[in-house]
Amino acid sequence: MKELFPVKQVMGFVFSLIFTAIALSVYFFDLSFAAGLTILIVTAFIQAILQLVVFMHAGETKDKWAIYGNVYFMIFIGLITIFGTLFLFIWDM
Amino acid sequence: MKLDHSQPLEYSTGQNNLNIFGFWIFLGAEIMLFATLFTSYFTLEHRTGSGPTGAEIFEITPVLIETILLLTSSFVIGLGIHAMRLGKQKAMISFFAITLLLGLAFLGVEIYEFVHYVHIGAGLQTSAFTAILLTTLGTHGLHVTFGLFWGLAIILQVKKCGLTPETANKSFIFSLYWHFLDVVWIFIFSFIYLKGMM
Repeated sequence: MKELFPVKQVMGFVFSLIFTAIALSVYFFDLSFAAGLTILIVTAFIQAILQLVVFMHAGETKDKWAIYGNVYFMIFIGLITIFGTLFLFIWDM
Repeated sequence: MKLDHSQPLEYSTGQNNLNIFGFWIFLGAEIMLFATLFTSYFTLEHRTGSGPTGAEIFEITPVLIETILLLTSSFVIGLGIHAMRLGKQKAMISFFAITLLLGLAFLGVEIYEFVHYVHIGAGLQTSAFTAILLTTLGTHGLHVTFGLFWGLAIILQVKKCGLTPETANKSFIFSLYWHFLDVVWIFIFSFIYLKGMM
């Protein structure tokens, strides 16, 4: 039974829950908008990387660099799309 | 077909390796799909017109239940893949079944949430904000719904054919899809719900 619950994945799950709890603090405590958003950005990206590395095994084969390259490139393009649009339409720069 | 026994079953043929890599490329396109939805959401979130704002309609309890359900399901399918690599077919199928049940529970809470939104006057046509909110949540929910049918098909195939390079490959690719849906939910949870209620 024990072999079905590898330490690495159990720890991955525990850390996911911890980071979810940290993210929840922005709801329960009266933080400034900037502080709250910083917490959310940090916890969300740590959790995403946790999933990618621990659960999706992104780095276990020789395709590692192609896989990470593809994912990070898409995240980069995604962020440019999001922030480029915000610059033009919302922040009026 | 050349089998490489130094690798787990799902990587054991050249075709399998390409299938998995190809699926990562697809996930890259999915990242972009959700990035454009988030772009529209951030652009429109304050255009509430005469409708309600996010802070007025979001409720922490169902959102938290959804988050825990999906996080747990993502962990459980990870255990399923681990069991598959140990060659324990029964344990793997049980983990996959639990994953799908958690996914179904998630979907149930989300459907309740949607009915609730429409009921309190935050439907698809109320304002730019509610339109993009329901579109973004709905696109994710649709992915989960599709995943439920896909996962069921995977379980049936593993039951029928056992653990072969083909079924292991399909199961692993499905697990990638399911983990990805959890990643998307983490961002929805953080930047739509929590940011909206902050």
